[in-house]
Amino acid sequence: MSLVLDSLVKRFGKVTALDGISFQVEQGQVFGFLGANGAGKTTTMRIVLDILRPDSGTVTWAGIPSTDVSRRTWGYLPEERGLYPRLEVLEQLVFFASLYAIPRREAAARARDWLGRFRIPEYEKRRAEELSKGNQQKVQLIAAVLHEPDVLIMDEPFVGLDPVNVSLLKEAFGEMRKRGTTLVFSTHQMEMVEELCEAVAIIDRGRLVLGGPILDVKRSSGRQVVRLGVEGDAGLPWLADLEGVSVVRSGEDYTELDVRGRDPQDILGAALARGERVTQFLIADPSIEQIFIERVGRPPSEDHHLASAGAGASPSGTATADGTDPAEAADATSGAAR
Amino acid sequence: MTPSPAATLRNIVAVARREFLWRGRTRTFKATTVLLVVVGVGLALAPVIIRFIDRGSTGDRIEVVVGDSSPAVDVPGALGLLLNAPIPGLPTDRQTTTAYRVEATTDVEAARSRVLDGATSALLVLDRTASGDLSFALYSKDTFLSRTTQLIRQAASSIAIQDRLTRAGIPPIDQAALFAPPDFEVLSADPDAPTNGPQTGEEFASTFAISFVLSILLFMAIILYGQWVAFSVAEEKNSRVMEIVLAAATPFQLMAGKVVGVGGLALVQYVVVLIPSAAALIFQDRIAAFIFGGSPGAALPEGLSVPLLVVFGIMFVLGFALYAVLYAGAASLVSRQEDVNQIVAPLTIISVGGYIVASYAGTGLIPIDSPLVVILSFIPFFSPYLMLTRMGQGTASPAEIAIAIALLAAFIPVALWVAARLYRSGVLMYGQSPTPRTLWRALRAR
Repeated sequence: MSLVLDSLVKRFGKVTALDGISFQVEQGQVFGFLGANGAGKTTTMRIVLDILRPDSGTVTWAGIPSTDVSRRTWGYLPEERGLYPRLEVLEQLVFFASLYAIPRREAAARARDWLGRFRIPEYEKRRAEELSKGNQQKVQLIAAVLHEPDVLIMDEPFVGLDPVNVSLLKEAFGEMRKRGTTLVFSTHQMEMVEELCEAVAIIDRGRLVLGGPILDVKRSSGRQVVRLGVEGDAGLPWLADLEGVSVVRSGEDYTELDVRGRDPQDILGAALARGERVTQFLIADPSIEQIFIERVGRPPSEDHHLASAGAGASPSGTATADGTDPAEAADATSGAAR
Repeated sequence: MTPSPAATLRNIVAVARREFLWRGRTRTFKATTVLLVVVGVGLALAPVIIRFIDRGSTGDRIEVVVGDSSPAVDVPGALGLLLNAPIPGLPTDRQTTTAYRVEATTDVEAARSRVLDGATSALLVLDRTASGDLSFALYSKDTFLSRTTQLIRQAASSIAIQDRLTRAGIPPIDQAALFAPPDFEVLSADPDAPTNGPQTGEEFASTFAISFVLSILLFMAIILYGQWVAFSVAEEKNSRVMEIVLAAATPFQLMAGKVVGVGGLALVQYVVVLIPSAAALIFQDRIAAFIFGGSPGAALPEGLSVPLLVVFGIMFVLGFALYAVLYAGAASLVSRQEDVNQIVAPLTIISVGGYIVASYAGTGLIPIDSPLVVILSFIPFFSPYLMLTRMGQGTASPAEIAIAIALLAAFIPVALWVAARLYRSGVLMYGQSPTPRTLWRALRAR
């Protein structure tokens, strides 16, 4: 069983929100769905949930079109958090569960269980509007899992949670995974992706940039990161002579290198040949964040940084300059203008 | 997706249940219910209450200055008789209790100041014209069209005629006999008409009042409860809970559940208000007898029949359903609750229009059998008001009523389809103002 998205296209008037998105999520996977704001993540999720219909393309779960899949299959935590403000917590949870045919008594028992696990059992009789944002978010997550869905789709689940609640949520993820629930979530917090996900899809302006198991994605960049530390002055000017190697960062006790198109072992060999005493040598794949920046042309949470002075240029221009396939960038632009 | 009928029903019930219970528990709902009960009972008992307030009063005082006119009639006496004459066709115990007291006086200026300070209702001053006819001047704070003025004007005509007859040499005869109203019956020209037989003034007044009251009740229900539905949609959208619910239930289920839930609650409020009001209406004679003494009686108001009540019930449910689904569809297009009234305004105007035509037809300002009224009484948006009025007036055949109900019932699925379409695209539309283009796109969307 897997969730397959095939060539999804969705236009809102003149804006093309999705321009042929295809990827696949295996059952039981924790899947990260990455993209900058406005990339099309929420639209894609809404289409999977059959809240929106695509202009073309299909979504299937276990081979069945999503329009024919029982709604019990899905659990959904939308990006725009919302509860009935004046309804008591337990009552809303029972109501949401009743829409999935969970008997009231059963729903109440499950809801109490989850409230206890999220350490907010005392809030069951409180009205939602009396809860803090973080607690409301927990209640919403409970609403999404009460009916024990096969696939849990979450739009930015970690946004707005404090570190304690983030770790509670991660634990809950782990438990749902044990139960065999497929978890799909969008985020622009890359450390979460590194920590939790087995596979990712990176989208930008309605197009899939990269997708697949994390390792494959990292390897697909065709480069590796090498950390080299030697005794003494770490200037290492000879590194500039090696083809395909560039210095990313010179630290106090090590130098980080970007290695492209050659065996990282060569660097160790070269260092030893020059009589350097190697104290550190580490070969790693680039981080998802690095790959994201490389492929999308800007950091995933660009909004957190100021735009550079006079940066009126279109993002697609930056993307091209940074080495993203120019044809693809041009396509995305014309798609948006269509 | 196409959910199974069982799932659809289950979700409609779940949504309706939440809507019903939650809204029913709010303070607003309880407060309006209590208020409506008080108003309903108050209206039903209005005649008794008015009698109670007036029980000490000796009636309105009319002062008459005869001056030098020397009429051939005892003007104060005749005026008193004419003003207090019973309304034809109304049984004595239902006659108005406010009597007019007529007093003769000589000082015009003093009487005029009594009118001004309210001690006297009106001052009638007689004079003679050059041709020898009686002329009258009425000093009053009322307008020309007030009931008292009109009654005095009629009485003055009678007195003037009588004065002329006397001056022409015709001996004075019993005034009451001369000016007593003749028997006057209104009969339907159609021998098969539903209410065949003479219709007295009282029956007419009663059927008019009944159909008038029923269309007010219907109108209020559609406007008030329709707006509940609209606000409920906007509230869900505003609190962003919509997307969670939409992931679990289809827009159609959500909307239908809302209409059923609010409609059920509306019906409950209606019954809670109507039962004490109807009881007060039926037992008002008994209550009057208890307060004022006299013989009690109990009866349904004239003109209120079981078939009329049944048709009212059907029209209530269907009319509400039609308007409520469209209110829901319209309200889904706006993002803020402040905008709800604006977006539902066209619907409200249609509803007001139907109501106004119905009340004009009911009062005779538009003939009840005019083509406009007859045609509109079959058109779904207007039929709840107009067919009910036509039925109350006895001008609609059972077949016509059945056709109007069938058309209304058949139109509801169409409205439901349109509203569900609007709802589907509207509920996820934030911050855009609905234009005809977006509406059109919403209707065509897959």
